[in-house]
Amino acid sequence: MRGFLSSTSRLLALCCVPLAAATAQRIDSATVGANAQRTIAIDERLASDAGIRIGDRVVLAPEPGSSAGDTVRVSAIIRRRADPSEVARSEYRVRLHLDHLQRLIGYGDRVDRFAVLTAGGTATDSVLSRINSAAFGFKAYPSREIAVETSKTFLVVSRFHRAIGVITIVASATFLLCIMLLKVDERRRDVAAMRLMGISRSTVVRSVMLESSFVALAGSLFGVALGFAVSAFVNVHYQSVYRTPLRFAIITPSTVAYSVLLSLVLGIGAGALAARRLARTPPLALFGR
Amino acid sequence: MRFQLAGRTLRRHVSRTLLATLGVAVSAAMLLDMVMLATGMRQSFASLLGSNGFTIRVSPRGTLPFDSEATIGQGAEATAAIQRVAGVTAVAPVLGATIHVLGRGEPVTAFALGIDPAVQGDYQLLEGAEPTAPNTIVVSDAFLRAAKAHVGDTLDIAVGFDPQLRTYQGRQRLVISGRARFTYLSAEDRAVALRLATVQAMVGGQRADRVSLFMVRTAPNVDPEVARAAIERALPRVTALSTAGAIAEAERRLSYFRQLAFILGAVSLIVGFLLVSTIITVSVNERVGEIAVMRAIGVSRWHIVQQITIEGVALSLTGAVAGLLLGIVTARYLNSILRGFPGLPDAIDFFLFQPSAAFRALGLLVASGIIAGIYPSWRAASLPISATLREEAVG
Repeated sequence: MRGFLSSTSRLLALCCVPLAAATAQRIDSATVGANAQRTIAIDERLASDAGIRIGDRVVLAPEPGSSAGDTVRVSAIIRRRADPSEVARSEYRVRLHLDHLQRLIGYGDRVDRFAVLTAGGTATDSVLSRINSAAFGFKAYPSREIAVETSKTFLVVSRFHRAIGVITIVASATFLLCIMLLKVDERRRDVAAMRLMGISRSTVVRSVMLESSFVALAGSLFGVALGFAVSAFVNVHYQSVYRTPLRFAIITPSTVAYSVLLSLVLGIGAGALAARRLARTPPLALFGR
Repeated sequence: MRFQLAGRTLRRHVSRTLLATLGVAVSAAMLLDMVMLATGMRQSFASLLGSNGFTIRVSPRGTLPFDSEATIGQGAEATAAIQRVAGVTAVAPVLGATIHVLGRGEPVTAFALGIDPAVQGDYQLLEGAEPTAPNTIVVSDAFLRAAKAHVGDTLDIAVGFDPQLRTYQGRQRLVISGRARFTYLSAEDRAVALRLATVQAMVGGQRADRVSLFMVRTAPNVDPEVARAAIERALPRVTALSTAGAIAEAERRLSYFRQLAFILGAVSLIVGFLLVSTIITVSVNERVGEIAVMRAIGVSRWHIVQQITIEGVALSLTGAVAGLLLGIVTARYLNSILRGFPGLPDAIDFFLFQPSAAFRALGLLVASGIIAGIYPSWRAASLPISATLREEAVG
């Protein structure tokens, strides 16, 4: 099989050598003999879209239509990790050995960056300061600083989701409050009958509150089940759209606890409000007399 | 009469009516916001791309403009080839590079655009003159702040650094001839624009006579898609993208927001409908005796249906009007959050108020209020009068 891979991938490839880099997971590979031609690894999307398999030969060129290209063999197919920063990016990725890429694109003995593994703790700070003081023209950054810089997009998305969440909570709280008030209001005749039978106001209020608690609890449990179903659908849908193993919707125990608690508080609160109002109204007035 | 009766019924349970109106208002606000989100991005991006009259972008094959560091070789030859395509009226080549301003303490790094000042679409000059001379540049406000420079200053600028030789490459002294707003960059981006030939000479070596992107203007009577296909045929090493194609690509990348808008908009509509229908149904159930009496004294069935439907419409309409105001306020807030995306061009808005789309959405909500009122009102008006009266009287 012949084809070309544009130089679009060159920076990406530079960043991801060797294959054991933490950005991808090897899902299939073949052993290559010592005297075999140069080998590359390609990502699952490219393999699937171009119908490339392990052992296929492809031509790598620094530019489309370039006559200067290398025929290489595909030795591995790799899967991207669940990295949110790659979700909206649809380009293909190719990984090749550093010297091979440098030669192919005429980049000389240059690299874009180094990833340095340290012993951790104070060793990291010491390595950082030694590199920064010794290497004129280089600047070393701790990974956490880079993570903060590159996660700005997700902080924005996260803030947006939180704001949408607040609006949704206000809308659902109003809806819930309204429904609970109506639900209790519907019991006006029952409450009137209970009061005429001599049942005390507090007992009436407690019984109505108990009922509204059950309704709120049943509604919350149904809501949680619906939430799990919807999040499963969202994950399946977006994982297929963006071809990523990333989970888009995650329901945590704290999310469940928060939503159940909120609906219980609103439900019981609305029940208490309506029940107190009913209990204070004269029974005959509740009958409409 | 009908309006008076409907108004009195709603006033009879003030707290319930207020709560329902609030619920509809929040639903309407959410619906409006989601409509603004779904249509705003597309409109805003289309305005941005169409603002300078260029209808086609040409980038290295398989890439999107400035999506990678890839460039198109033999730029002059490619420019001539594109100019020869029928319907093309102007070609603006652009080369992107990173520059360093030296001699002002820590070097200031900025994004440089090599352009042809006579036919560029990357910036609007705010002050000063175009960089027509080889040693002149126009810069963004953010650049001026970072470099602590002013229009008229001369800067020592380099395009690269060789750590082995510890020397800067492509060093030149350039005069700031003007201040500009860069169309496709954010206000925080440090950007400069200078003549393409100057940038090519500064980068030298492999990037001389290379171009990152061509922006192409076509004649008004020419279909950009036809010109786009002709460019790709003339230059097989490029990808040509029309404005419509670029919008489609942006929409594909931002499909998450569109789908989110669709889902939340639909949920808002359903919540609004359920709220109004529940309120009306309960209200009608409470008043079956009253309705039966009205029917018994000769009030027509159609009159009853109208009165109850007016209640639903009043709730929806009041909620929709309140929701319109609430929606605009929340949309501004949500837009300010999303405008925080790093590198987002100033001209892009995620939430854009378009009266036709907004009023269609709110109209849909009011229509759902009408539908929500029709069933309970029809049911109430169809109750057997004598049986209902007996039941209500006996309890």
